[in-house]
Amino acid sequence: MTRPAPRPPDAEQARAAGEPGARILTLEHEASLQARLLARDERALLELIDLATPWLLGVAQAMLSDQDEAEEVVQEAFTIVWRRVDLFDRESGRLLPWLLRITRNRAIDRLRARRRRRLKTERLQAYQAFGEGWTAAREPNEASRPGWHVHESVHAALRALPEDQRLAVQLAYFEGLTQSEIAERLGIPLGTVKTRLRLAFDKLRTTLAPIRDWAL
Amino acid sequence: MTTPHDWFIEHRSAFVIRSLEPEEERSFNEHLTGCESCRTETARIERELAWLPMAVPPVTPRPGLARSLAEAALGTGSRVPRWAVPVSLAASLLLAVGAWGWALQSVRATRAELASVRDTLSIIRDAAKVRFASITMDNHQGGVVLFADERTHRWNVVVYGLPTPHAGEVCQFWFITDQGMIRGVQVKSEPSLPAFLTLSMPNDTSHFVGAALSLEPAGSSGQAPEGPLLAHLIL
Repeated sequence: MTRPAPRPPDAEQARAAGEPGARILTLEHEASLQARLLARDERALLELIDLATPWLLGVAQAMLSDQDEAEEVVQEAFTIVWRRVDLFDRESGRLLPWLLRITRNRAIDRLRARRRRRLKTERLQAYQAFGEGWTAAREPNEASRPGWHVHESVHAALRALPEDQRLAVQLAYFEGLTQSEIAERLGIPLGTVKTRLRLAFDKLRTTLAPIRDWAL
Repeated sequence: MTTPHDWFIEHRSAFVIRSLEPEEERSFNEHLTGCESCRTETARIERELAWLPMAVPPVTPRPGLARSLAEAALGTGSRVPRWAVPVSLAASLLLAVGAWGWALQSVRATRAELASVRDTLSIIRDAAKVRFASITMDNHQGGVVLFADERTHRWNVVVYGLPTPHAGEVCQFWFITDQGMIRGVQVKSEPSLPAFLTLSMPNDTSHFVGAALSLEPAGSSGQAPEGPLLAHLIL
């Protein structure tokens, strides 16, 4: 059965879903933010920090399982954005996904450095990460936070994957393992890992493509 | 028949999500410089998967984080370790106590007070080991910092950001040793003020390896925590 294409909320819908006075990152707002960052407007940086930090911290903490390291990674991401916002190309993507990518890449670098130093300890059980707790609001008003509708859609896309593919995505995308490390961790052939990941990401690309221009 | 380029086509998604081996990733990067179709396709995959990290729920930043992130990015300051804030608060408090004492007491008493403050601060300055653990309790985010001065066998402990325990409960400090746990002092916590403790090692032959905080029923005297553990630090 084909999943219905998600409906992109417009700014009004997003605003209605948000907290009173919450800032919504529409395409127009994002363009304005980028222009102001390029013009070295410090208030634009503060706005971006206000809006993006909870999501960046979420990713970094989930990957690193360490609050201090997660904050350092988020700090590095904002420093890069402030110093090199000229590298951001609006034609090829959105501002928040760019920040998320920087954060995730930095977290992966740290995870791999840990492994190289053999200091990696057993972290969260892989499967717990996609447990029910990921959809439930954990704090008051969390579900009304700007961006929550994106979180729900992405999470639903992951939950729709077969279990073995979801686990492969979890290990590759959110724990930063390479394909051969996943094969070793799961005790399965490398070719099987590659197949699972390819199938999973083909599905995710199809499911997530319609939401790529959503307002946050 | 497969061509060498097929390998790159097959591994585009793996490259985007960074699950290739380091050598493969390098090779893919080199390939991208000369392959327009792979560049276009990987950029497309990247866009399509752009929101994937948001599968993870957001985390509410601790108070003050936004400001320190901004200062660090702007180059107007650097993110200081979280323990530095309560420590500076505690140090200020100690100095204020010292100053207050100076005004009210005799010179002799003031000297003793200042010597005590200096002594306490010296434990912080000379601490061979500093350990930090965060504590979440009743929606309060706090922490505990331990400064261990091995020369004098004393610890300075700062507990901050904890709410006052519920009626019938106390916040209990424990020493962790290789022989088990030793009950320490009760910590009087208030969300607005850090609690500052200077502790001497109990006269015991055990090897001290760390400390813990727990919530205990008031009046309990057991030699092991009965209530929930709030934090533990290993030296």
